[in-house]
Amino acid sequence: MNLQIKKALEKAKAKIESTKTVKELEQTYVEIFGKNGLLTQLTKSIKDIKPKDRAKFGQSVNAIKKEIEAALAKKRSSLDVLRSAALIDITAPGKKQQIGHLHLVSQAIEEIVDIFKKLGFSLQSYPEVDWDWYVFESLNIPKDHPARDEWETFLVKSTAKPHYGSLVLTPHTSNGQVREMERVKTPPVRMINIARCYRRQIDVSHTPMFHQFEGMLIDKNVSIGDLKGTFDYFTSRFFGPKRVTRLRPHHFRFTEPSFEVDITCGVCLGHGCRICKAGWLELGGAGMVHPKVLETGKIDSKRYTAFAFGWGIERTIAMKTDIGDIRLLYQNDLRFLEQF
Amino acid sequence: MNMRVPVSWLREYLKTDVAAKTIAQYLTTSGPSVERIEKDGQDLIFDIEVTTNRPDAFSIYGLAREAHAILKSYSQKSQLLTPKGLQTNLRPDTNYQLPVEVIIKDKNLCPRFTAIVIDNVKIKPSPAIIKNRLEKCGIRAINNIVDIANYVMIELGQPMHTFDYDKIKRARMVLRETKAGEKIKTLDGKLRKLPNGAIVIEDGERLIDLCGIMGGKNSAVSSRTKRVVMFVQSYNPTKIRKTTQALAFRTEAAARFEKGVDLEGILPALGRSIFLAKLTAGAKIASELVDIYPSPQKKKPITLSLEKLNKYLGLTIPSSKAQSILTSLGFATTSTAQTITATPPSWRTTDCQIEEDLIEEIARIYGYHNLPSKLPKGQIPDREDSILTRVIELKKSLKFQGLTEILTYSIISRKFLELTETAEKDAVELANPLTEQWQFMRPTLLVSLADVIAKNQNLRPNIKIFEVAKTYEQVESDLPKQDLKLSVALSGASFYDIKGLVENVLEILNLEAKFEKPKQNPLFVKEFSAQIKVGDIEVGVLGLLSHKIRGYFDFKYPAVAAEINLTTCYQLPATRKTYKPVPKYPPVIEDISAIFDQKTTVAEITSSVKKLGDPLVKQVEIIDIYQDPKLGKNKKSVTLRLTYQKPTETPLQEEVTRFKNIIIRELERLFKAQIRK
Repeated sequence: MNLQIKKALEKAKAKIESTKTVKELEQTYVEIFGKNGLLTQLTKSIKDIKPKDRAKFGQSVNAIKKEIEAALAKKRSSLDVLRSAALIDITAPGKKQQIGHLHLVSQAIEEIVDIFKKLGFSLQSYPEVDWDWYVFESLNIPKDHPARDEWETFLVKSTAKPHYGSLVLTPHTSNGQVREMERVKTPPVRMINIARCYRRQIDVSHTPMFHQFEGMLIDKNVSIGDLKGTFDYFTSRFFGPKRVTRLRPHHFRFTEPSFEVDITCGVCLGHGCRICKAGWLELGGAGMVHPKVLETGKIDSKRYTAFAFGWGIERTIAMKTDIGDIRLLYQNDLRFLEQF
Repeated sequence: MNMRVPVSWLREYLKTDVAAKTIAQYLTTSGPSVERIEKDGQDLIFDIEVTTNRPDAFSIYGLAREAHAILKSYSQKSQLLTPKGLQTNLRPDTNYQLPVEVIIKDKNLCPRFTAIVIDNVKIKPSPAIIKNRLEKCGIRAINNIVDIANYVMIELGQPMHTFDYDKIKRARMVLRETKAGEKIKTLDGKLRKLPNGAIVIEDGERLIDLCGIMGGKNSAVSSRTKRVVMFVQSYNPTKIRKTTQALAFRTEAAARFEKGVDLEGILPALGRSIFLAKLTAGAKIASELVDIYPSPQKKKPITLSLEKLNKYLGLTIPSSKAQSILTSLGFATTSTAQTITATPPSWRTTDCQIEEDLIEEIARIYGYHNLPSKLPKGQIPDREDSILTRVIELKKSLKFQGLTEILTYSIISRKFLELTETAEKDAVELANPLTEQWQFMRPTLLVSLADVIAKNQNLRPNIKIFEVAKTYEQVESDLPKQDLKLSVALSGASFYDIKGLVENVLEILNLEAKFEKPKQNPLFVKEFSAQIKVGDIEVGVLGLLSHKIRGYFDFKYPAVAAEINLTTCYQLPATRKTYKPVPKYPPVIEDISAIFDQKTTVAEITSSVKKLGDPLVKQVEIIDIYQDPKLGKNKKSVTLRLTYQKPTETPLQEEVTRFKNIIIRELERLFKAQIRK
């Protein structure tokens, strides 16, 4: 390589190396590539070279040009980094839009609806203040039946209507059962109904208002196995794959057979611990819809069978989280709500 | 209903080597649930929940019978022994016979009535075993005769009563319903005013028994008693229930009678009680047996189709297996190739009446855990979701606008209702409220939101909350109106903050909102509120919460709020979005600032400008409004940003100026505006 070229390269590199700021670097660039820049002059000097050496000279100039450009780029990125590091504290808070919070109950409802939607269930909505007939009588619970004791029902001041009786606050979501049958008329039916329910009780595990969700499936050949499968599908998605359910005999007037559904405790996974006692926690009630209820809803109980289930959302939240006292859910302390 | 069961007592009839814990586990899986196991000295106590349809299992012997059948299905050996004395000969022991005259006024009150008199009774404490067992079950031991009644009730599930024979005037017992105003002093010493329709027994002179609930004090067995009427019956369950409800007084006996007792178990229970009375009190039967049983219980066979059984179970179970389960539970069965016919035992006749009842018996004993678990096959119904699914999306959008969702009770106090100025007759009122705090179903969510702001205002000045819930309005002889509403409240914020939020919400709902002067609403300051309309339909209200609300909740900062009726909104047709070509040529954008009278609304100004600027002015925005005394009294400055645009070219400056001049001239003329240069 020509000595002149070598010198030019060294000079350019030295200039780049000594640069301290991006602005200086720009100046350096001009000094090298500008109108009277180092390299420009070098290129111009080609006319002084003997014609036979010109090609070689040109190649060498191009080569150092690339080298200088690479050095410049390297320097520029190192200066950029330096500049950023000097100005930014990545641990300082960013500028963000305020985001609020959904109530735990809403979060649970969304999750539940999503899971059941995958199985073809649609979300329906029925009155929360309803006739005694839909709440009890249509569900095979006549007046003065001891089974009514299980629901500490709030009564509404109203005059009774023939056939429908008086008004009550729904103590469960099962008033949607016959209402749904009346609306759909011809099975198949796959519905969930989530609503506020009311019972006259308050303690650590009860609030006078709570949310219940109800599921009902009516079709030909519906079996207890379908009910079990649906529960297993739901619980493994909602509570996680390690937890399993079991059915225990129970009694409800509107289902036959009737079950209580238990789920293995999340702490001990069914081995038994101080929280759950025997490894199981009670989730809710379920059963095969009583033929009388189907008939009341004008569904032919000889052609169709059905299952139904219902349980409290707050209870499932308590089982999923560490909230021991479900009254917390209704105290509306922002310091609580903003945790979720 | 729960029952305490000493395991030692249970084991007297259930002979098995199976450990108590295992028995409890099997019972829970296939029968009544053992909810807790307690230690009591050497003994264990099961706390068992027995469902209301199984009064037969609400007894030690009933549970032993149940456990015996269940153990068998788990291939565990056990033997069921019957209590001694069930078949006691009830012929008189004495050569004299004491008379008892019984009159039943209405046979519907008492399906079966039995009584027998015993003489030679020596009242003393019961043997230790009886006393201990009663106490383990939570019943206080009194004396050998009274204890027999309780003992037999716990053991066999059949409540019974004992009278001092000599206290029954004229040895006469008339069973009838009460008349208005009758009273009786019950064994616990309380004078009870009886409702109409209670079942009572009257002797020759006065009431001596509140049947099925508690005996009368005046005829009670005491330490001096010599002759006793042993008394076992069944009563009309509905009558018993109504009486216990009217008196708000329920006893162990009533809890059993109101669910119905086994009519065929009455004589064995009487037999057992006589057996025990002879054993512990030296008693001798001194009368004929009185047994009034006008319509004996009928056996009602049920035929079950095997096809149906297998459909319900989701598997095929051999007919012989199904039959052996039913037999183990006391059913008598016959079968064909397609069916099983089963006759329930006397203690299950009310509970087991249809095919599905048999399916339940077979399924639970077979074991629910042995049934398959599979996802339902069949067609997915084509059914639209209710608006609640859309509400989930709406709630999320509010969350992402910085609001926090709260959940408050839909039941409010009278005071809260008063704040809404809703007349009580228009509100949905509870007939049996739990406390004063919860008496009415709320017609609006706003008061509850104000309450939550007040509770949290010490945390920070700016609180942003919302709730979605139904509200309730009384409708004459129909269901109350139950519309779903969204309520939002912001503390330390302005009218325009809440308006902006409402505008966002309606945009999310895809509706075009208008804001008009408000109707009278006690929750808002009239001058700082508006009604929200879509077309001509009112969908909500927004504004500054009233001084009354602010004062009642003691707000530190003023709060604004809005309530939107979602039921209405979701029924309205959504604004259709249509395609407009994106302009090819850039617009000219210019501002006009002018001073207007404060009363002139920006809606009036923009609508005039739009009209005047048509077709060149494509958009009119308000970019600034401010008030300042320097502008003059009751004046405000408004800055409008006008977008002049043409589809074919960029507008020429001359065209823009021409339109602008017209607009300025008209603003001066129409609104007396002073244009600011």
